[in-house]
Order: sequence, then structure tokens, then C-alpha cells
Amino acid sequence: MSAAAAWGAASELTDVSGEVAIVGVGEADPSGASGRSAVEIGAQAVERALADAGLEPREVDGLLYRSGIGPQFDEHAFHRHFGTDHELFVSHEGGAMTWAATAPHVAAQAIRSGKAHVLVNVFSVDWASRRGQMTGGPGAFHAQERMKANLEVPFGWFPQPVYFATVARRHAHEYGTTEAQLGAIAVAARRHANTHPTAVMRDKPLTLEQYLARPMLVDPLRVEDCCLISDGGAAYVMTGLDRAADRPKPPVQVLGVGEGHSDTGTYWSQQADFTATPQVFSAPAAWAMAGVTPADVDVLTLYDPFTIVALMQLEDMGFCKKGEGGAFAEGRNLWFDGGGLHSRGSSGLPLNTHGGLLSHAYVLGIAHVVELVRQLRGEAANQVPDARVGVYGGYTGATASTLVLGRA
Amino acid sequence: MSHRLPLPDVGWQPLAGFWAGAAAGELRLPRCSCGAFRWYPRERCRDCGAAHHEWVRTSGRGTLFSWTVVRRALYEPFATFVPYATGLVALAEDPSVRIATRLVDCSFDELRIDMPVHAVFAPLSFPGIEGSVPAPFFTPTR
Repeated sequence: MSAAAAWGAASELTDVSGEVAIVGVGEADPSGASGRSAVEIGAQAVERALADAGLEPREVDGLLYRSGIGPQFDEHAFHRHFGTDHELFVSHEGGAMTWAATAPHVAAQAIRSGKAHVLVNVFSVDWASRRGQMTGGPGAFHAQERMKANLEVPFGWFPQPVYFATVARRHAHEYGTTEAQLGAIAVAARRHANTHPTAVMRDKPLTLEQYLARPMLVDPLRVEDCCLISDGGAAYVMTGLDRAADRPKPPVQVLGVGEGHSDTGTYWSQQADFTATPQVFSAPAAWAMAGVTPADVDVLTLYDPFTIVALMQLEDMGFCKKGEGGAFAEGRNLWFDGGGLHSRGSSGLPLNTHGGLLSHAYVLGIAHVVELVRQLRGEAANQVPDARVGVYGGYTGATASTLVLGRA
Repeated sequence: MSHRLPLPDVGWQPLAGFWAGAAAGELRLPRCSCGAFRWYPRERCRDCGAAHHEWVRTSGRGTLFSWTVVRRALYEPFATFVPYATGLVALAEDPSVRIATRLVDCSFDELRIDMPVHAVFAPLSFPGIEGSVPAPFFTPTR
């Protein structure tokens, strides 16, 4: 799209296809307010990921996390928790959101240069416990940005549900997207959460009729279109592909990584193509590195803070044409056991088979990658038959990222 | 230069021209010597790279690019305003310039995407927060 070139670009990433494998995954118990700190939650996730990988803490020589999103399970916490003191390669280019997709690229470079051989990427959050201390909840980040604090917050165009309600209405105007189509994404997420053992919304079914009967929160979005606020976290362990076969679980290899950004950053109000995401730039780069196309994908996880964000990414990653995301998501098309499987020629694709940010837990995308690994191993709660290629789409607003995983 | 959210900091230099305009009952926006509006204000012009810009009076007219009605307060200072309509206005002179605003003097039912709107000026204030700032709001042009 020539119009796309005007508002963002893909990052230049060296080709790391087939170099790295994910050999262990672990999820901390997600919940509402638990009273646990993010660091404690991160420790539980890393313990479980290492157990899954059959590795001891002292065998880990690289740690990836994101600083600046609140205290994380960093190298100090690692050594304190495990009673170790060895050298660790540390990168702050890890964690969740877009970094849950790009951390394997950082790991690949560390492995290439010999800086590390066994790397853990971890993210955890305690926002359910800390909700009361945060201006506008997760909106605190945006309230601290001075341009937004002066031009948006005073007029009530804040926080995120307001941004994305505005996006959703414009998307509906341009493409005819309906409330029932947004609802189909919320219902699919809930259907998956209902049969996923750790999902926060496991015991709360949601039909499309119930969805449509719910009141508006920020038109055209209802509470059900918005993510949860949770305590939780997850971690995954990476090694070079050559070492991965020694691990107890079937390795999952990193086929491709992409990253794209919007020139207007998190100033959503000014993004030239208001109803698109930087997946427009990120996804094609990841497809090229991986040597796969959207038609090859068996299972998809998308960063879904709002239904409309998942819908736009479906379009922007090329799973359907721009504007047809609503039709793509309709009915049971996104259910792991409902719609026709994409690869078998009908529309739809299993999406967020753990329940996503909408119904599993708001752990900012790290659990989306854990879920893909489980799908590709064949051990998922909502198993897609014979899943071979899985993709994660990450999103921060300013940036989108794409991770293509495949059975090794 | 401390101020209390959600009131704007009218003394913050990058936006001082905007708030001075509002105090004079004008919608002023930053325009580069090359003619391009620079919104939000930034160090350099996206089109020509120049550093200098001037705050110029605009027509205060535009179209409603998109909006939402906030039914339940998501942010405590707005609790007394709900339900309220907020959204983005595309400036008549350059529709790529979008101004975040609260929509006033209208019923929610009459709001339509791309309808003509214009700026009206009123004091912005919040219960329990000291002070008030003249600010541009938008209303449908009938």
C-alpha cells in the first residue's frame, strides 16, 4: 500500500530464521488482585519455565526483561531468588507487548556472538493489586506524556478505552464493521477461556446475545470489548536450535520476527491511517524472514487490549483484506473448534486459544507466546489439530511486532 | 511548573500559543513557514525540517472525525461529567490535523462522523481542583 509508506516503517532486522528455539514455557497463576508483587509473580513464572525446559537456574546465562513498566524479575531478583551469583547476559529489550515477539531476535544475536546460550525472557505484572494507585489505571503511562496531558486528558479523550472506541467508530464508518463482529472476537476469547485451566474468566460464559445485551461503556465498546486488569506473568526459555533437541519437550523454532512503527508514535489521534496498526509494516517483514504466508498459519495469538485492536491486526497482517476483519471474525470463525480452519480453505483462524487479554489475563502478551508453544507441541488446552505454524502479533500503539513459530 | 491533572499547564512553552489563543477566543495552531501545520508541535517540521513555527489563528471549523460517549467514568476527575461525548475534530484548513475535544451543546443522537463542527470557548474546570483555563470545545454547526 503506497499510503502505508507515509506513516511508518519496518525495522531492519537481521535474518535469524531457524537459529533459535523455545525449549521451555512457564506461566505464573494469573488472577485478580493477589497481593503478590510483580517480582514474586515473575519468579514463579521463571521457576516453571525452567522446570518445563529441564534446566537448572545456574544453566541460564541470559535474562531478558523490560525495564520501565514497573519492577521486574531482573538479574538481582534472579540471583536472590535462586541463590546464584554467576554472570548473566542481560537485555532490557525483552518482556511482553511487542518485545514478547522480538526477544527471540535479541536472543539469536546473543547466541551468535557467544554472549549467552540459554536465555530466559520474562514479564510479570501486578496491576490488579496496584490499580488504585494508578492514574486512569494502565492509562498512567499516557497521562505522564506531556503533550497528551495537555491536549487530550483535559478534554476527556483518555484513557485507552476512549482512544480505541474512537478508532472502532471510525473503522465502522469506513468499512461497515458491526457491533456483532466486534462481539464475535470477545465471544471467541471467552469461549477459549472457558476451557482453559488458568484463565481468569474460565467460569464466566459469554454468548453473542449476552454481549449485545450488555450496556455500552464507551460507544461502540462494551466492558466485554476491553481487556482485564490482572496479576500474572509468564516466561519462556530459548537456546540455539542445535541444543534444543536435548531438552525434554519438543522444541519450537523461531521462523521469523518483524517489527514496525508508526511515525506518530503513541499519538493515536494523529496517525495518518487512523484505523490501522503498524502490523502493516511488521508482518510483511516477518513473513519474508520466515518464508511463510498468512495462509500457512494454523493458530494465531494477537495482542488484544480491545476487540478492535485484534480485528485491525487480522487485516493488517494479511489474514484478510483491509476492512474485511469483521467478516473474517464472525460467528465461530475464530474458535479453535468452531470455524473452518483457514488452511483448509474456509474463512477464519483459531485466535487467542487461551482467551487472550480479554478473557485469559492481562499479562500483556507474554502468555500469548506461551500458548503458541503449547499449541505447536500439541499440549494446549484448546488444541488446534496438527498445528504446525503459530504466529503472535504484538502491539503497543507506536509499534507492532510479529513472531512466526514452527515445529522444529 | 507544576499543575494538576487534568487541568492543562498553560505555561508549558510548547503549547503556550494554543492556550493564549483560547484565552483570546481563537483556535490557534502552529504553522511552519512552508505552510504545513505542525500538530502536535514538534521540534522540526515533518515536511521541510525547519525549526521555526508560528501560532496562527485558524477558522476554528472542522469536521467530526470520530467520537465516543463515555458512559462511566474511566478517570475519576470526569465522574461528574459522564455521560459525555469526546472525540477528534479534523481541521477545515488541513484535515490531517486532528484536535482532541469534548463535544458540547449537542445531543449524542445528532452526532455523525464527518459532520461540520466549530470551536466554542469556555472555562475548563474540574470539581475539587482549583483553577480554570479558557479552552476550545466543539459543537455541531447547524
